[in-house]
Amino acid sequence: MLETPALLAHSADLELVIRHVLAGLGHGIHAGRERGAGVEFSEYRAYAPGDEWRRVDWKLLARADRYYVREAERDSHVATWLVLDATASMAEPSRRVDGLSKHWYARTALACVAAIAQRQGDAFGLLVLSNGKVEFTQASRGPRHLQRVLAALQRATPSGGLPDTEALRASLHFARSQSMVFAATDALDWPSPLSEALVRLRHMRHDVRLLALRTEAEVEADFATGHAYRDPEEGARLHSFTRADRENYRTALDSHFGAVRTACRQHDVPLCEAQVEQPLGEVLRAWLRNPEARRP
Amino acid sequence: MTSMQPLWWFALPVLLLPVWWHMRKRERTRTDILATARFLPAAAPQQQRVLHWSDVLLLLVRMALLFMLLAWLAVLVMPWKGDTVFVDPSLESSPWAAQQVQSAGMGAAAREPLPADLWNWLARNEHEWRPEARFLILAPRAAMPALPPRLAHAAELRLAPSAIAARPPVAAAAMPATPRKRQIAVSAPAERLPRWQALFAAFSTAADGVNLYVLSDTPTTDTELIVWDHPGNEPPASWKAPLWWRTAATNGQTQTPQGLAWTTPQWPLHDVDAARVLYERWQAATAHMSPYPMPAQTLKAGRKEPLAAPLARSPEWLALALLALFAIERILTHARRR
Repeated sequence: MLETPALLAHSADLELVIRHVLAGLGHGIHAGRERGAGVEFSEYRAYAPGDEWRRVDWKLLARADRYYVREAERDSHVATWLVLDATASMAEPSRRVDGLSKHWYARTALACVAAIAQRQGDAFGLLVLSNGKVEFTQASRGPRHLQRVLAALQRATPSGGLPDTEALRASLHFARSQSMVFAATDALDWPSPLSEALVRLRHMRHDVRLLALRTEAEVEADFATGHAYRDPEEGARLHSFTRADRENYRTALDSHFGAVRTACRQHDVPLCEAQVEQPLGEVLRAWLRNPEARRP
Repeated sequence: MTSMQPLWWFALPVLLLPVWWHMRKRERTRTDILATARFLPAAAPQQQRVLHWSDVLLLLVRMALLFMLLAWLAVLVMPWKGDTVFVDPSLESSPWAAQQVQSAGMGAAAREPLPADLWNWLARNEHEWRPEARFLILAPRAAMPALPPRLAHAAELRLAPSAIAARPPVAAAAMPATPRKRQIAVSAPAERLPRWQALFAAFSTAADGVNLYVLSDTPTTDTELIVWDHPGNEPPASWKAPLWWRTAATNGQTQTPQGLAWTTPQWPLHDVDAARVLYERWQAATAHMSPYPMPAQTLKAGRKEPLAAPLARSPEWLALALLALFAIERILTHARRR
């Protein structure tokens, strides 16, 4: 029923959307639960040289005449951080699908990640960058916290610009323990305080995943010609768009995103580029896929 | 070209309204918000003010529409008529009229039938004549107006000699006369009704049969006279006429709500002389007042401009042009919005 982004976009209930998106996605996309020494039994594993002798199940050895090691589930120490870019440029709507915008898409994708993290028992927190400020939600576990994060996401409205470097650095104090950082942005400002913060996090050996959103019209340069256009974060300056400008626009946009890609590759930040008209499930799958598995 | 309601021209600044609208449209170029606008070339604000050609066309049409509306309200008229001869229909073909036209040197002038209320009609309508046009008025007789006529054009009034003026009845005698029908209601006892009929038949022959008296039982709205020959009885209250002949005990006349009543005990149904006296008295009472005759004369132009006639109307083609312009304006507006 809610297969297309258009239908999803008209649903105001974020939880319902999450349930529908995740229904097609399955569980265990990222290996959140570590196995090893712990309290709760998980599975047997064949003995490998180097395993501690005290973890070998002797009773099973007596029965099966093989060495097995008991594996127990261990609580995850990985915190998941969701970063939502809610600047004014994220309000850019899809020119093909009514009611769909980059902001909606980023918000929903982050809500899905939060729901997955909650299912896996990870702690998750949220940063909303909007209007030059950072709205910070502490990392925690549990369904109640999920509701808190969803409410914060629901509240976020795109306006203003990104916070400056200092403000962003002040809110990165969480970065001591190992964590995953999921950042959803339109990557139109690059380099930006956000990009610098992500690179710094990456250098602190966090797992940083970047989702760069664009609309189909932006990629295809498919706007109405003859209008004057205004950048929402730039003020009153006008830009014109004619047929002749189309190629230049494409070139400029491609070179910009080429630079973004290069920077991401340089700093080993997996970049997932998506158009908001694409089905959310697929984009989410691509975003969450283990970057190591993707590499040849 | 003159205007009958020139005050309307003070509304001409209304023409600035569409100009202002279109200027405003120029400034307010539509701007959309686009996140990737920074990758588009910057546009100078002046570049946005280029007028689209349909806008100019629309502006012109709107201004023309407003101008036409003002012209229509201001009753813009073009005086197009030249020298004119007004001829009474009875003199239309008489040699006297042709002779007068020749002697006045207006052989090439247009001819128009003489209007009924000549001087007022001319004052109301003379804006249709060019300033140098002259009027020649040929009539059998003319009524003297209360004030001497002041026209913006020179006018000459010539009266036909009475012999020529009397000719039409002679000509009319050749053909069957069409007497004027006058409605009479007679209510009388059956034995006197034929007498009344004979009396009015005799009246119909008087004065060369100008009048034909039509008798009926009950009055209508056209009834001029009601004969009520029922002494002692009252007529129905709904009967009304300007004049009543009623049989009563006394001679005399009384004013009643139903009309003026002449009363007499005995109507002259047998006496010819008495009947003639009654007829003459009746005719004298109902005859129209004849106006004071106006002598033939030449009138100079008494004013510079024709009167601004409040009842003057704009020509129809102006209204049609207004309608057409309005339709064009609507179509253009719609096409531009598309």
